[in-house]
Amino acid sequence: MNLNIDAKKENTYDAIVVGTGISGGWAAKELTENGLKTLVLERGRDVKHPDYPTATKEPWQLPYADRPTAEDLEKQGVQNRTGYTIRQSTKHWFVNDLENPYSEKEGKRFDWMRGYHVGGRSIMWGRHSYRWNEMDFEANAKDGVGVDWPVRYKEIAPWYDHVETFIGVAGQAEGSAVLPDGKFVAPIGLNCVEDELKRSMKDKFGRLLTNGRVANLAGPLTHNKSPQRGTCQFRNLCSRGCPYGAYFSSNSSTLPAAEATGNMTLRPNSIVYELIYDEAQGKATGVKVLDGETGEQVEYYAKVIFLCASTMGSAFILMNSKSKRFPNGFGNDSGELGHNIMDHHLGVGASALVEGFDDMYYTGRRAAGFYIPRFRNLGNEKRDYLRGFGYQGGAGRSGWSRLVAEMSIGAQLKEEVITPGSWSIGMGGFGEILPDHSNSVIINYDKKDKYGLPTLLFDTEFKENDFKMRKDMASDAAEMLSAAGFKNVNSYDNPTQHGVGLGIHEMGTSRMGKDPKTSVLNKYNQVHGCKNVFVTDGSFMTSASCVNPSLTYMAFTARAANFAVEELKKQNL
Amino acid sequence: MKRREVIKRTALLMGGVVSAPAILGILKGCTAKPGVEWNPEFITQDQAYVITEMAEIIIPKTDTPGAKEAGVPAFIEQMVFKAYSPDNRDKFIADLTDFMTESDFSELSSEKQKEYVFLAHEKAVTEKLRSDKSFVMAMKELTMLGFFTSQPGATQVLQYEAVPGGYSGCQPLSEVGRTWAT
Repeated sequence: MNLNIDAKKENTYDAIVVGTGISGGWAAKELTENGLKTLVLERGRDVKHPDYPTATKEPWQLPYADRPTAEDLEKQGVQNRTGYTIRQSTKHWFVNDLENPYSEKEGKRFDWMRGYHVGGRSIMWGRHSYRWNEMDFEANAKDGVGVDWPVRYKEIAPWYDHVETFIGVAGQAEGSAVLPDGKFVAPIGLNCVEDELKRSMKDKFGRLLTNGRVANLAGPLTHNKSPQRGTCQFRNLCSRGCPYGAYFSSNSSTLPAAEATGNMTLRPNSIVYELIYDEAQGKATGVKVLDGETGEQVEYYAKVIFLCASTMGSAFILMNSKSKRFPNGFGNDSGELGHNIMDHHLGVGASALVEGFDDMYYTGRRAAGFYIPRFRNLGNEKRDYLRGFGYQGGAGRSGWSRLVAEMSIGAQLKEEVITPGSWSIGMGGFGEILPDHSNSVIINYDKKDKYGLPTLLFDTEFKENDFKMRKDMASDAAEMLSAAGFKNVNSYDNPTQHGVGLGIHEMGTSRMGKDPKTSVLNKYNQVHGCKNVFVTDGSFMTSASCVNPSLTYMAFTARAANFAVEELKKQNL
Repeated sequence: MKRREVIKRTALLMGGVVSAPAILGILKGCTAKPGVEWNPEFITQDQAYVITEMAEIIIPKTDTPGAKEAGVPAFIEQMVFKAYSPDNRDKFIADLTDFMTESDFSELSSEKQKEYVFLAHEKAVTEKLRSDKSFVMAMKELTMLGFFTSQPGATQVLQYEAVPGGYSGCQPLSEVGRTWAT
């Protein structure tokens, strides 16, 4: 009896954070800095900054010219649906698909790219960090789509300030209402050809092209809380993990801050599969954990629980947590849990050849090129679809590979390859997907993963609004490149080459809203039906905007964590 | 006895100076063809000879190293047998076999070998044949990939900077010099 009480005490914390990715790292930092003894659970292996095994490998030190082998693709074929994620230099950051299967409703693809290790996808994320604007938060109400966001931009703006200052975002202030400025370190430069497009877009269309805003330290941080972080060395090997700590990841940034408080206990190999609900108290009292190494089952307890296990990971835990109070999944009074899945649709844009500039080149490898913020359906414009899209792109001179299809061979090839090839430029769109109840995920109890746990079954597809928007995404890109005087303009649109998910921006399985009857979370990311459980990863997103979402997860997570601390003080949780 | 054991013991007998793959070649009863200074793991010496010579014809030694010195022939074998799908691997080997029969490559003088490869290449480029339709183009693609990701290719023919330290987006080409390897 006493033993049991002791054991329970030993496994009891003020707070539990599930997941160590972008959201989990932020929850851990904010909760521990506020003095809460916090247990941080990660389902995968430990990764400590700066132990990234391939980070300093030279091209010739990677076998197979860094390409995946046939054996790699057997194990990680789904993870390679992007065509770029499985490399000799990066494959260890992505799951083994044979050990971690999922299912897709017949004829419908869902592309689920993920890594199970401390830091999660914060290690290999794209790092683009754009604020939402006022219009984004008002869009659902205005269009009568989904439910209204229970928050507006001005409530989130100070939290954007807070997270940007800590992580460091490269960017150029532009004074644009569509793409609000943030707290920037220096911008990452544009090259001559990109500058040319920027001028042409301003003159001919009145549209903005700006330096990609990425969480890379193009200049030093403005605080001294991350002594382990140095400035960007322009190697552009970010997705291997950065030994300089020059881009934001949980490993390089938030977890060391949490560690420094002395209040964090980090437990890797801890697969949370269920929340423990106490019917008498009407609260969640803890989580059930399966140890991924030993197979041991352990319970941990806390006053407050933050689910930051990723949009699908948290959906799984909630759906798998059934009780008398929540027979259809934890917090699922509305029936919206697992529904309204969103991503950004992509694989559409244009490219062109650039004549001239033959005497100009560049030095250094950038982590980002340019960004063109949304310009459609603003003000009074009404296209035949709702919302809009932005573009990411870049220009460069071609290298050795251009000569594969040329006449060059032998000694002549070695001569010709010394001079870089002509300039080309390209841009790809990221389009907003509307929330739709029918895009959903459920638990598939018939298919088990390597731990014997049930898995997920996705039922998602692109809808009419997406296909209509893509026409503009292709033709607008081509029009802007042509207007700049570039040649051989080629637009492309490959809607069938990806499923929902390939943007790796999954959102929306536990949307927030004002009404508990139509949403899972309230405006502070609290489960409507159980206030001491917060969900702050992409699950909470009520709509998708067209900008990369991670910065917004950070801002909401920091806000929710500080709210939770206040509520604990007031004894409201 | 397991193969690994055999190799280890043989290595001891030979004073441990010969690399394991080399011994593997000896165990297979292979002797190196002239020009094959590496030990193929999956293909025959005759096949290795053709791949080696073709790679060197595509990227020869000049005042900088060529494909042989950069280890490209062994790279090609690894790519075909490990990175290619089984279907693509089988196709590559079938195309290689056809090429050897059609050209009688091993019997040609090195001057004639070069002439043959250059002509086949010119025809393929003119007809816009890709690597799936032309063995020479498949070899060219693999040779260039292997060579320009090798240290000699990246640093002596092209230029490479492991840690650039900054970005300069509009710089005169004359200042930058050669094409960047990455």
